[in-house]
Amino acid sequence: MGAVTDDEVIRKRLLIDGDGAGDDRRINLLLKSFTKWCHSPGSPEEGFTQYQRMLGTLAQCEFSMGKTLMVYDMNLREMENYEKIYSNIEQNITSAHDKIAECKKEIQRAKRIRKNRQEYDALAKIIQQHPDRHETLKQLEALDKELQHLSHIKENVDAKLELRKKQFHVLLTTIQELQQTLENDEKLDDDQSQESPAQNGE
Amino acid sequence: MFDPFQLALTNVSLPWHRLCPQLLHMSVFSQSFSPCGRFLAAGNNYGEIALFSLAAALSPDATTANQKPVLTFTAHEGPVFSLLSTDSVLLSAGNGEVSAWNWTELIKKNVKPLWTKRPNYKSSLEIPEINSMAINPRDDSLAIGAGDNNVHILDLEHGAFKATLQGHTDYVHCVCVREREAELLSGSEDGAVRMWDCRTGQSVHCIEVHKYESCARPQHGKWISCLTTDSDWMLCGGGPSLSMWHLRSLSPTSVFPLSGCQRQAAFHQDMILAVGDGAFVSHCLLGGEVKGQIPCTPPSLNTLKLNTKSSEHRVLTVGGGSSKIDVFTNLSYRAFSLSF
Repeated sequence: MGAVTDDEVIRKRLLIDGDGAGDDRRINLLLKSFTKWCHSPGSPEEGFTQYQRMLGTLAQCEFSMGKTLMVYDMNLREMENYEKIYSNIEQNITSAHDKIAECKKEIQRAKRIRKNRQEYDALAKIIQQHPDRHETLKQLEALDKELQHLSHIKENVDAKLELRKKQFHVLLTTIQELQQTLENDEKLDDDQSQESPAQNGE
Repeated sequence: MFDPFQLALTNVSLPWHRLCPQLLHMSVFSQSFSPCGRFLAAGNNYGEIALFSLAAALSPDATTANQKPVLTFTAHEGPVFSLLSTDSVLLSAGNGEVSAWNWTELIKKNVKPLWTKRPNYKSSLEIPEINSMAINPRDDSLAIGAGDNNVHILDLEHGAFKATLQGHTDYVHCVCVREREAELLSGSEDGAVRMWDCRTGQSVHCIEVHKYESCARPQHGKWISCLTTDSDWMLCGGGPSLSMWHLRSLSPTSVFPLSGCQRQAAFHQDMILAVGDGAFVSHCLLGGEVKGQIPCTPPSLNTLKLNTKSSEHRVLTVGGGSSKIDVFTNLSYRAFSLSF
């Protein structure tokens, strides 16, 4: 209770004026009746009744003090409770903030994934429009084979043509040579027949 | 402070001089986010660029004043058809020339351009418009799709035009860069999407989209006005329906049943966002289904941009045939509109 000044006491008393009015008056009355009872010359029954009455008032005062103490305890505990709830709510707020940030990141990821999927779908649509690779490869192979076959035939035909050309060439040159030889022979014969009449005429 | 001579020099237009009819006929053609992601630059058909502060407009205590630009200035004499941001610079294209503005200076409301360059157009009769620009980060070059049927390549480091890609027979509507393969794609009014090799400058492939039966819409025409790629896949549309192509096999994988002509499309996570004719943003799945169409204020849309550079201001903004730019914080609905 140390250095509690009068001012503070008066201030506190004025503050709890509303509640304290009844109790304060009761305590004052008790003190007054106590002093009166101490100094009263009255009969022992009166003194006894007075004493009983004072005990009653004292009990009332004690009762009200007990009540106030309990209310004070209750308030303290309520304060603790509220503090707990308050810190709980704060924690919830921060965790909700964190969750919101997480969800935002998730949304970004999901949007990227969706964009990729849509791009994939768009490309797939186009690719579907083009014919299958295996079929095209098979067609290419078949065309290749045909090409080879046809070039083979062409080579054969070319070779035959060359051969026939050469054969004809040989034939024609032989014929020409024969013609030459025949002409030469004829000329020789003519010369010979011209020479012999000349010899015979001599 | 409001010295008219000073203001005339810096080309800042005063808001109370803007008459109502001007706002009525305004169209937003291009948008670009700042490298920090906190500002949006938008270009309109009057040649003005407006800077909006996204941080202010998206803050919980934003007012209608925050939905107005923090800075508006006239950048070009013709409409600003294309805006592009690098790490520190805003590139704007209008009236046949490209201007560069430093972002930090713009944020400080200093509207002096760093440089203005004009590609060497062969014809001097009329000035071709620049319809689209794209940056190739590999060699720090800027591809410019112009109305003279060519794609001009500007080397940003040295500031000189290093190549001209010729091949299209009509003006180039859109260009985009295929990063992984170091190729450039360009879509043109002549209905062809050409793929150019960045190193040799030759046209590697030419896809005539209108010749494919599944995509062609002869009633709209054959021009390609919208092109975007993510290296493996390409979205293109315009006269023909918006279609998704697989670039390796050069074949169309999905055609999207959107009725109007699409002017800009983008890949976003697992979806495709497309804008064009019609007062809505179409959300489509890669398979070809249209998941939904989100209504917007402008009657038709020209430009769509996602703020991927910032984590707190991750918004989608669309602009088109009105002075309002719709901002979407959640892709499913329009949050609010910025207005010029």
